[in-house]
Amino acid sequence: MHSSKLKTIYFSLLLAFICLLLPWSGLALKIRPDFVFLTIIFWLIRAPNLCNIGTAWFVGLFVDLATGGTFGQYALAYTVAAFFAVYYQRRLVLFNGIQQAFYVFLLLLISQLVLLLLKTFSGADNIGWSYFWPCVTGVLLWQIAVIFGLNTGGRSRGA
Amino acid sequence: MARSSFNKLEQQQAPAFFVRGPSAFARLVFFSALSMALMATDSRLQYLTTVRLQLMAVLHPLQVVANTPSQLYHATVEYFSTHHRLLKENSELKVQVLKQNIALQQLNTLTLENENLRELLKANKALVQSSVLGEIMHVGRDPFTKKIIVNRGESHQILNGEAVVDATGVIGQVTRTYPLSSEVTLITDKSLAIPVQVERNGLRAIAFGHGRDNTLDLPFLPTNVDIQRGDKLVTSGIDGVYPAGLAVATVSQVEITPDSPFARIVCVPTGGVESHRQVLLVSIPEAEIALRTHHPAHHPMNTGKNETIKSPEKTTEKTAEKPTEKSAPTSVPGSGQGTAVKPNTTVPNTTPSAASNPKPETSQPNALE
Repeated sequence: MHSSKLKTIYFSLLLAFICLLLPWSGLALKIRPDFVFLTIIFWLIRAPNLCNIGTAWFVGLFVDLATGGTFGQYALAYTVAAFFAVYYQRRLVLFNGIQQAFYVFLLLLISQLVLLLLKTFSGADNIGWSYFWPCVTGVLLWQIAVIFGLNTGGRSRGA
Repeated sequence: MARSSFNKLEQQQAPAFFVRGPSAFARLVFFSALSMALMATDSRLQYLTTVRLQLMAVLHPLQVVANTPSQLYHATVEYFSTHHRLLKENSELKVQVLKQNIALQQLNTLTLENENLRELLKANKALVQSSVLGEIMHVGRDPFTKKIIVNRGESHQILNGEAVVDATGVIGQVTRTYPLSSEVTLITDKSLAIPVQVERNGLRAIAFGHGRDNTLDLPFLPTNVDIQRGDKLVTSGIDGVYPAGLAVATVSQVEITPDSPFARIVCVPTGGVESHRQVLLVSIPEAEIALRTHHPAHHPMNTGKNETIKSPEKTTEKTAEKPTEKSAPTSVPGSGQGTAVKPNTTVPNTTPSAASNPKPETSQPNALE
């Protein structure tokens, strides 16, 4: 059972990665949600014993590769945000939809903020508030997924 | 690896609910340290380039997969485009071909004339830089850096530092090459500098990417500089990478503040930095490659920076100079902009090492008469 679920996790991450690599442009690029990290958040809540901080780090490394930036930036951002997801995972499972969405928003914000911090240290300009659009669209995508039957609860929800 | 073995342990010993391996905090510290180390290694040392190459080869099939839907979409749209639209497009193209044919005829005579003149001057022939057509595969997710991935790489003889242009102007420069793709830093990226020339008066300067808003800056130009709104900036060709005379940007704003000795000049790139799919990768002239092998430390991205940092205020007066020996013949001390301006558009075309002195060039027509 575990191995099949592991396959599902990797497959979904692969799909998210392909979404990231789609040829986005213009406005869509600006508000493009962070598919990869959303998928990681989902699995962190749903299956914390299979998808952990290490997974987030490793996937972040690949995102770094795809964006062509310095190695380790996305990896660190994902690691830090994943830590907060894992730390409160047991409570998160019991949250209702709105609470969970709010927490997901916070997690997305954390990953963005860590990245902003790293980039500012390496001498990037302040790029304005539009930088945080992906958080908002990310939560919207999360909510849409929940409406369409995404279940983060697992057995805890049933009990 | 350690974790997966731990997971196996976990299944045997206790319910997953209780045992979770190392604590979350320990994992956070470990992976944070790892990524910090990676960041330091990648930005300060060059060890990770081969790793990057290998991983990029893994990533390439994914990129191809990701590009398939949009390509299919474009193909279907083209297939179903109406008869009427095709006819219209056809007639438009015919007009365009006619116009360009006329220009081409003139170009032929001009090329011949130019060659003759160059022979008379004993100057080197203008460089003919070959180019490769590439297609943009995807745009980086990172909002801080302006980078795109193009589907031409080392296997297509793409080299680091090649100029990337589209039909309307310069887009950027190749900064990393992978086996089947290459990474292009756009001219609007903060780390990219490009030597330019004002088309109207031949004034040379160096344009830097602004990093956001898709604009370029012309820093270190004095407040009395002769630049107006709407001036066109073209490549000066002085760096030996970009062919001379390609459109780069249009000046959109000239701001002079009394508390700064420099004017603040904002330009909008003419090339479809964010819009086009097809781009041309222009190969680097051989002379420049030979020069580069002499100076291994000579990184393509640094060419522009060295020049300005060396003498920020002098860029306008003395023209952007190369730090190497080849700069000597091009700049005539004291000649200023006045006399040497007109031939400027052609002079950078020659290989910098053999660029003729502007003085004899201006006197040559007299001799002909």
